Amino acid sequence: MNLRIGIDIGGTFTDLIAIGADGSVRTCKTASTPADYSAGISVGLQALLRAAGPDAVVTDLLHATTIGSNTILEGKGAPTALITTRGFRDVLEIRDLRMPRLYDINWTKPVPLVPRELRLEVDEKLRPDGSVRLPLDPVTVAAAIKTIREAGVQSVAICLLHSYANPAHENVVASAVRAMLPDISISVSHAILPEAGEYPRTSTTVINATLQPVVRAYLQSLQTRLNAMGIVAPLRLMQSNGGLASARAAADTPARIVESGPAAGVVGAAALAARLGEARVVTFDMGGTTAKAGLIEAGQVTRAAAQEIGAGVMAGARLLVGGGYLLKLPAIDLAEVGAGGGSLCRLDAGGAPKVGPLSAGALPGPVCYGRGGTIPTITDCNLVLGYLDPAGLAGGTIRLDTSAARVAIARQLAEPMGLSVEQAALGMLRVAAATMMRAIRAVSVERGLDVRACAMMAFGGNGPLFAASIARELGISRIIVPPMPGLFSAFGLLLAETEHHLSRTWRKRLDQLTPEVLQDALDEILIDGDRRLAQDGFEPELRQAGVSVMARYIGQSSEIPVALAPGTAEEILAGLSEAFGAEHNRVYGFRAPATEPVELTGLTLLARGTSAVPRLPERIPPGAAHPLFHRNAWFEGSGWVETSVIGRAALVGRTVPGPIIVQEYDATCLVPPGATATVDPFGNICLAVPAAG
Amino acid sequence: MQSARPDPITAELFRNAIVALADEMALTIYRTAYSGVLKNIMDFSTAICDGQGRLVAQGLSLPGHLASIPSALRACIALFGDDIAPGDILIMNDPYSGGMHLPDIFIFRPFLHPAVEGETSGPMAWAATVCHHTDVGGRVPGSNASDSTEIFAEGLCIPPLKLFAAGQPNTTLLRMIERNVRLPKRVMGDLRAQLAACEIGIRGMADLVARHGPEATLALMGETMDHSERLVRHCLAELPDGEAMFTDWIDDDQIDAGKPIKLVCTVRKHGEKMVFDWTGSSPQVKGAINNTWSYTAGASYCAAKCVLSINMANNDGVFRAIEVIAPPGTIMNALSPAACAARGLTGFRAADCAFGALAALYPDRVFAASDGGNTGVTIGGTDTSRRPFIYVDFLSGAWGGRPTSDGLDGNTNMFANMASFSIEAIETDNPLEVLDYEMLPDTGGPGKYRGGLSLRRTWRMLADEGILQVRADRATHRPYGLQGGGPGSPSRNVMNPGTPEQVVLSAKLTMTLRQGQVFRHELPGAGGWGDPLTRDAQAVAADLKAEKITRAAAALDYGVMFVGDTLLIDEAATRALRTRIAARGPAPSPAWQPFPGLVA
Repeated sequence: MNLRIGIDIGGTFTDLIAIGADGSVRTCKTASTPADYSAGISVGLQALLRAAGPDAVVTDLLHATTIGSNTILEGKGAPTALITTRGFRDVLEIRDLRMPRLYDINWTKPVPLVPRELRLEVDEKLRPDGSVRLPLDPVTVAAAIKTIREAGVQSVAICLLHSYANPAHENVVASAVRAMLPDISISVSHAILPEAGEYPRTSTTVINATLQPVVRAYLQSLQTRLNAMGIVAPLRLMQSNGGLASARAAADTPARIVESGPAAGVVGAAALAARLGEARVVTFDMGGTTAKAGLIEAGQVTRAAAQEIGAGVMAGARLLVGGGYLLKLPAIDLAEVGAGGGSLCRLDAGGAPKVGPLSAGALPGPVCYGRGGTIPTITDCNLVLGYLDPAGLAGGTIRLDTSAARVAIARQLAEPMGLSVEQAALGMLRVAAATMMRAIRAVSVERGLDVRACAMMAFGGNGPLFAASIARELGISRIIVPPMPGLFSAFGLLLAETEHHLSRTWRKRLDQLTPEVLQDALDEILIDGDRRLAQDGFEPELRQAGVSVMARYIGQSSEIPVALAPGTAEEILAGLSEAFGAEHNRVYGFRAPATEPVELTGLTLLARGTSAVPRLPERIPPGAAHPLFHRNAWFEGSGWVETSVIGRAALVGRTVPGPIIVQEYDATCLVPPGATATVDPFGNICLAVPAAG
Repeated sequence: MQSARPDPITAELFRNAIVALADEMALTIYRTAYSGVLKNIMDFSTAICDGQGRLVAQGLSLPGHLASIPSALRACIALFGDDIAPGDILIMNDPYSGGMHLPDIFIFRPFLHPAVEGETSGPMAWAATVCHHTDVGGRVPGSNASDSTEIFAEGLCIPPLKLFAAGQPNTTLLRMIERNVRLPKRVMGDLRAQLAACEIGIRGMADLVARHGPEATLALMGETMDHSERLVRHCLAELPDGEAMFTDWIDDDQIDAGKPIKLVCTVRKHGEKMVFDWTGSSPQVKGAINNTWSYTAGASYCAAKCVLSINMANNDGVFRAIEVIAPPGTIMNALSPAACAARGLTGFRAADCAFGALAALYPDRVFAASDGGNTGVTIGGTDTSRRPFIYVDFLSGAWGGRPTSDGLDGNTNMFANMASFSIEAIETDNPLEVLDYEMLPDTGGPGKYRGGLSLRRTWRMLADEGILQVRADRATHRPYGLQGGGPGSPSRNVMNPGTPEQVVLSAKLTMTLRQGQVFRHELPGAGGWGDPLTRDAQAVAADLKAEKITRAAAALDYGVMFVGDTLLIDEAATRALRTRIAARGPAPSPAWQPFPGLVA
């Protein structure tokens, strides 16, 4: 039997899901092995293959990994040098000057990924149009290479001013480095990000350079293990932008796989939203330390043009930047807040209840874990209210101490606030929910959307527990809890397609643009995308391409993307002014008269290799029904209520009113009083939530 | 109408919601604004205020705006009194009616709730915004010259007026604005962004009232401010009492060239209260660097917030415990018709001065002087095809040494969270070539914790000619060091550097720049913190390796010697040199001139 397998590596666990050609689903959770992550994968794969039987053949191996972000965050990138234009070696360290926090004299900038003494300058200078102002001086190139050799670095980033307009000088430098140091990794800025803006381009190229040797070694090690297991299916990796890339492309441009894991969950949600015909969905992914919100429109993920690695969680709105390493490549747009199961609950000096962003982590963990935690967490609050099973999480592997949690909440929260333990616990959950609501509102408000018109898709270990209360407060009436919510990122991998996101600076006045010039530009970027898909092995009929231009009124400080309609260059050009005006009106709420001159600043391409067979199975069976039991749970207004605890299968074919608790191996879904739940034909739990009264 | 104190959970949920609402207003401006001033420099603020104009929640924004909105709104409320109806929207930018400088235009929209309207006969709350507009007319593009001498030269002054009355736009006023600014599309676009943000604020308030009821909403707004007040008082009570005065100097105001301008800040801390008293500061000056009260207060609050142990929400509760005294007629609280367009400089320096006074009281919580604020560089003219261009840039760079770590190299000043412009964009949009943008070694004040380094940027003019305007400072009064740390390097303007035609220019200047001429600006370096002889020799070695200091400075400023031309510390020689320098007293190099204003 043919198997498609998704592998998602997290900090603690490696999740694997296999879907058979017959629709069968198998899952496996193994401990992650940080020393060499491929070891943990190998253990999980063997378990899955054993379960699938001797005739199992792996046809597809899809992988999300945190190796990119962890390498940056832990400062374990390869020693790297930078070659740049004389006078500008400090661009990497000066950054764009901005800081992410105000009024904090102890805030410190992230350490530059290349130390100053290895930021080497060469004599050369291009003009913005690509013409040569000062020819490249080979003597200075040779001197830089000599320093690099003596420093013993493993990787070199090359970023010269205005190289997006003319790559010649960067190419000459790269050839010289390659000739003198054949074993060194080389990242060249015009190949990674051919766009104007020296700081984003330099930073992105340097991140790529410092990751390249690390990611390449990891992928080689993984491939060796796969070969040993006789798995010949091509390995593909999830990119931050939500598309898959071949292992080779990922090794060449590891900067594209940095936020691999969170992207996979949103891609899964998008595929599911498309299947269900949901026009607008907010995703709500809550784990142990943070919660993340994303937006899906018409079955498509939304992307941000850039991200910051290691910036930490947002402060409520994403207006403060500079906390991390800038990576200017498209990434699935996620707003993140520091609220998860392990988030600490306390009162501030003014007596106000606060949740997070500090987390108890795995050690000491929540009070109820009995591992030395003394400060109550969100998980403790959920436990004393009866929402979680004291018999244990993850199928009983962790037993929970309810009375310890009660004592901690009583002493530290309830008594100082003059509330009962239950009121205090529920209050902290509502405070946490308020923090998470800000993330959800951020992704919708930033696009001018009314969140009440969206459905919510809730996943992650804690997402289904909080979904109903958050949706109620936000005025969202429908919640979808997909199958295997706690392993949803691994599942999302199985639904992704191969994608190449290309962009370049392209400055033209729209009223002076001719069809010939447009056609040449389109041909160039389309051929580039097509060539990459061909290299990935896609037949011509499975290759798709969508081109957008970046456009603005002359004098405006920022541009917006406008998707080009299919057609000849003449037809595209004829409709472009109107298309831009309409898009401007959608984004800003107004448009200028057609006489207002428009400027094009860039060109982007999304080239997609699609699969011949549908990615998404017809349905995911809800699993075996487990025996019904009851537990006391506390709800506002009704107090303690004997509440049914059921499995997902018990909801098939009927609509059940809350309160009920749907308990599964990897997550718990809370259906509060007033809400109802059912399971749809695909296998999702669907909650209907009445508006807050 | 004050009812019993709301329960803590409800209060926290309300606080979260109203702060989120102010942030959503800020996001709306960010998303819909036209101009780069708003997007790159974030020079705008949003807020929800109560019916009396007290600040309840402020969006993420510029520290300099901390006191601006209530000050301006209260002036409007005082003027209009009961004459506020549903559908009214107010506008104003008059510095002498509670504003800051003319480019900062305020828009206020009242929230009137039917259930309370009858009883209180006034708005229950206000949605408030202020944005720095690209141009408001006047004698120079950008409306920000530092050499104007009266506000009448600085652009269009809008007293408190109704931009909308009962929902109808005031087309007379709109046309007046449109005709009096250089970039009407941009200004009108940014005003639209402000109106959109006010709309979001009003809708959000309606949601909150629908949920909690009007009376509870009023009580919760009160509790939001009371909570911040409790936090501030808690933080202030932790700090020892005391009083300290600090004096600092602005080089000059460009009109009375070479005449230093005195800033004096006295901080008095007693119990749960702190006072910033600016008595003794210079009378208002002829040049356009006069502060209005709210900007001086913003600088004072910014410095205070940096020494408090908790970063609490910005609202009236903070102001209740921190008093700001700025005598009218001084540069810290100017009277009409003083020019004030370039008062940004004085705001930065007021923050430096307030930090200086706080450092005497709380040495372990304050950093040494930073770069003194940004330098404004404007180059305008016509390019070789006779098309007009205007290049406006703000350079900023270094933090002073801190009680536990070095000052930051290449970072925005604490008082303004500004971004830098891209070199490639500058060269694409203007007939200018940028020759370098880099850190300069040996410019950070020496200290146990070194001050941040100076940044320099150098331009070559490619057009036939243009006008160069520079507003810099700290050329004669260098950024001070603290606790034995040395001052940072002075700022410098140089024409044709490194050539026989090299000329060093004054800090503030307006002059013609001709084709081929090269202009260089060097920002000041920041002050050091603590005795440099106690700096970890390994940190000195790391600075030498990174070429942030030279071998000579390692010896002269820090007393650290190396083996030959290696990076290996010569321990014995270092010990001997440090002993010798210490015996000589605290003046081993010219960088050690004690700063004149430092109060022991």
